[in-house]
Amino acid sequence: MLDHFSIFTRGGLVLWTFQISGLKGSPIDALIRSCLLEERSGETSFHYGHENASYTLKWTFHNELGLVFVAVYQRFLQLLYADELLARVRDEFAGIYREKKYAYPKFDAVYEQLVQEAEAKAEEMKKMKQAQGGGFERKKQVGGGGSAGGRGGQAGGKSGKGGKGGGGEKRGSGDDQDDDGDGKAIGEASEGSALLKHQQSAGATAASGGKGTSAPANGGGAGAAIVRAPSAANGKSSSAFDLSKLRQRKSKSVATGGGGSSASLVGVLSKKASVKGGPEAATGKRVKSMRKWDDDSAVGKIDFSDSADMEASVKALDVKKEVSSGMDVEEEIGAESEEEEEEWGSEEEEEESGKGIAASIRDQAGNGSAYRNGTSNGHAANAVKKGWFSSVFSSVAGKAALDKSDVEPALKALKERLMTKNVAEEIAEKLCESVSASLLGRKHGSFTRISSTVQVAMEEALTRILTPKRSIDILRDVHAAKEQGRPYVIVFVGVNGVGKSTNLAKVAYWLLQHDASVMLAACDTFRSGAVEQLRTHARRLQVELFERGYEKDPAVVANDAIRAAVRNKTDVVLVDTAGRMQDNEPLMRALSKLINLNGPDLVLFVGEALVGNDAVDQLSKFNQRLADLSTSANPQLIDGILLTKFDTIDDKVGAALSMVYTSGAPIMFVGCGQTYTDLKKLNVKQIVRSLLK
Amino acid sequence: MDFAKFTDVNELAKMVNISNLAEIPMLPELAEKFEVSLEVALCAALSTLSITFLVSLFLLKAAFGGSAGDTIVFLGLCGAGKTSLFSQLRDGSMHNGTVTSMEPNDDRFALFSERKSGRKARPVRFVDLPGHPRLRAKVDEFLPQARGIVFVIDALDFQLRPTAEFLYEMLTKKIVVSSRMPILIACNKLDNVSAHSVEFIRRQLEKEIEKLRVTRTSLSDGDASSTEVRLGKEGEVFKFTQVKNKVTFAGIIVANNDIQEVERFVRERVRG
Repeated sequence: MLDHFSIFTRGGLVLWTFQISGLKGSPIDALIRSCLLEERSGETSFHYGHENASYTLKWTFHNELGLVFVAVYQRFLQLLYADELLARVRDEFAGIYREKKYAYPKFDAVYEQLVQEAEAKAEEMKKMKQAQGGGFERKKQVGGGGSAGGRGGQAGGKSGKGGKGGGGEKRGSGDDQDDDGDGKAIGEASEGSALLKHQQSAGATAASGGKGTSAPANGGGAGAAIVRAPSAANGKSSSAFDLSKLRQRKSKSVATGGGGSSASLVGVLSKKASVKGGPEAATGKRVKSMRKWDDDSAVGKIDFSDSADMEASVKALDVKKEVSSGMDVEEEIGAESEEEEEEWGSEEEEEESGKGIAASIRDQAGNGSAYRNGTSNGHAANAVKKGWFSSVFSSVAGKAALDKSDVEPALKALKERLMTKNVAEEIAEKLCESVSASLLGRKHGSFTRISSTVQVAMEEALTRILTPKRSIDILRDVHAAKEQGRPYVIVFVGVNGVGKSTNLAKVAYWLLQHDASVMLAACDTFRSGAVEQLRTHARRLQVELFERGYEKDPAVVANDAIRAAVRNKTDVVLVDTAGRMQDNEPLMRALSKLINLNGPDLVLFVGEALVGNDAVDQLSKFNQRLADLSTSANPQLIDGILLTKFDTIDDKVGAALSMVYTSGAPIMFVGCGQTYTDLKKLNVKQIVRSLLK
Repeated sequence: MDFAKFTDVNELAKMVNISNLAEIPMLPELAEKFEVSLEVALCAALSTLSITFLVSLFLLKAAFGGSAGDTIVFLGLCGAGKTSLFSQLRDGSMHNGTVTSMEPNDDRFALFSERKSGRKARPVRFVDLPGHPRLRAKVDEFLPQARGIVFVIDALDFQLRPTAEFLYEMLTKKIVVSSRMPILIACNKLDNVSAHSVEFIRRQLEKEIEKLRVTRTSLSDGDASSTEVRLGKEGEVFKFTQVKNKVTFAGIIVANNDIQEVERFVRERVRG
């Protein structure tokens, strides 16, 4: 059961909420702050824990309208229907959304209905998994697939094949209402549901009409699907009703063409498929092209359903379905709707391939369906045909809404570019996903190219990631620690040879410049010569060195150093540690002990800017090991990053991005030379510029 | 007008400025392909010229028209109440509450209280910028157009250091200093008994900014065009009165629509 459902604008104004019980803490704010704003919206769910409550959050965007939909439920529940519900609420709400309108009391009823349907469907899916009968399975799939785009979850589940008709019908009428007017659209929800029932039964009877003929032909397969089967005679009349409705609806959708109505067209599409399957199979004309058509539509349909196994099984049984669905509708069509047949038939003459029809339907559907049909085969085929001229035209006129195939090429190029700048592949991939999620369905302004739209979005995302989310003013922290009468402790960690000691000396010099007294603690008791190296630095900087030689536990040495600093009233203790590979278990254990025992103010990860894909591995493993090996509930992880050898990489600054994205920690310093003074702050703008150059 | 669009328009201007048709790489092939005569090509050239003209007009407007200045920017940390304030000013209601903003709310309207009393007033553009530190960079986009800043502070859950750091950053921005942009520091949620007083917040901020003056500007970011300026008078303890911008403090309660101070500030900046 969903605890909470919220619809709000990206600006942060809540439009509509539904909740059963009050939420503990503020999971939605947490979601936005630590997931959506961290360019992790490519992920699918977010977990939030607060005291004794634990929630899972799922979300979806409507980018064109700038809306966010969030569903919150108890973590222990496995709500399979959450994603589908979100998508459907989104589609419904998009239809009634008006800018600057903040009260949608009538949406309550619609929401209730959607939840019920989604729950019922989830229930059916569960049952379906248990009963794996061949024919039965197939029928269900067809019904479910057809209705996935529409509202007919229940009908689809219950009446198997009938769901196709019923599902499409239901959704269609709902849309008609929505399109009729703003206020009253949802006002008729109760009436709507009455209508729905009627249509559902109509659908069911239509199915049974078909079934009357298919049962003998198909044998046991259809038998299982007969849940409600009134008379076959009844089926005939209702199918006539169905088809006339269908035509009405088609014309209506063409007229409105709005975002909301597109889903109904999908319903129509699926229904057309079945209707058309009939005559073709019956007459035996051009069965092959027909099959292709149906194939396409089937795949298109499946895109709207969330269940992967459903998809697979439908594909597997596609051919079988073709034949049988043809048989099912055969008689209906033959007897009742010759006119209908002709209409569809002629249309088919014109459009040779299934692709063509898919395209024409897409045109009718307009913006909305372009967005949602993004992954369907028919659409992809259509996109390929776009030439130079149309792309110029769309860049001048402004395209209605971006879909995946528009954004993909630009994003791919951008990903390549990021990777040539040494950004880890994994990170580039995730970033592109996130940017794509934020662009899909957005209105594309006139006088802009898609590639530049994508570039701007990427630039924003990069700036957002690299901008530190907390203060990186170490001096201020040093002052604060001084006021409390304790030294400020910085631990330098990192893999071998990245320049920990050198940059520790630079930081020491910088602190000395700003009137802080510094002590160096030689806790690298592992590598020969480490202590001597640090002693040299200490002598040159004229600062105190705390050392206990080699063969000592570094945690204890650090502890002693801090105590000595307290006695001497030293402001800052810089702890040098041995370089270690992220996979070296004993050394990582020692580091974890050092950090846990001493509780430093800052754990500074020293990473070299030359690193490529390994940056992700290094940081995530360091963080992981520190978290795993810690005994406290709230382990101290890496707080900041010191990026070294920055002067050696020219514009290949990708490591900065990889490190910040992986750890979420800000880059505190940048080492950019061999002398003590070569320490700088990160210039976010410059980095972003060179990443996108 | 944001800068992103601006650059695109520039690009386009470059694109259409190619007056010689032969220079347009695809045109000859295209003309052949579509079997269009030269007259048609001429028409295309003429329309190109007219587009150039329109675009340059558009650019001129963007360059000079945008700085007419009726923009008030809301700044502050997450959860201070910026979006609520925005909604109160516009609609006189907080509607269903707010969540953390991901994008700025940008709208031009006359104040709700003015519309209610039936007065005709000049609309003001309000930009409510998200408070999340990750989105700080957005500030630079809107500040050049701003006539005034309303800096909202949560007086109930007053986070001294982040607030002071943010305020310090704003006060040292070149654009803010050079235009002497007035700043209203609005302490919100004063209806709560455990909220800090406005005076307390002011003193704390002064103390904290005094410390920040020392610790900031200590590490260069290698950018010569550093946008930060030194704040206050050298050798003196920092007071808000030393700032060249006019900084005023006010107490507001957004939840109760007790926001007269903000409204007054807005009308001082943008006459009705």
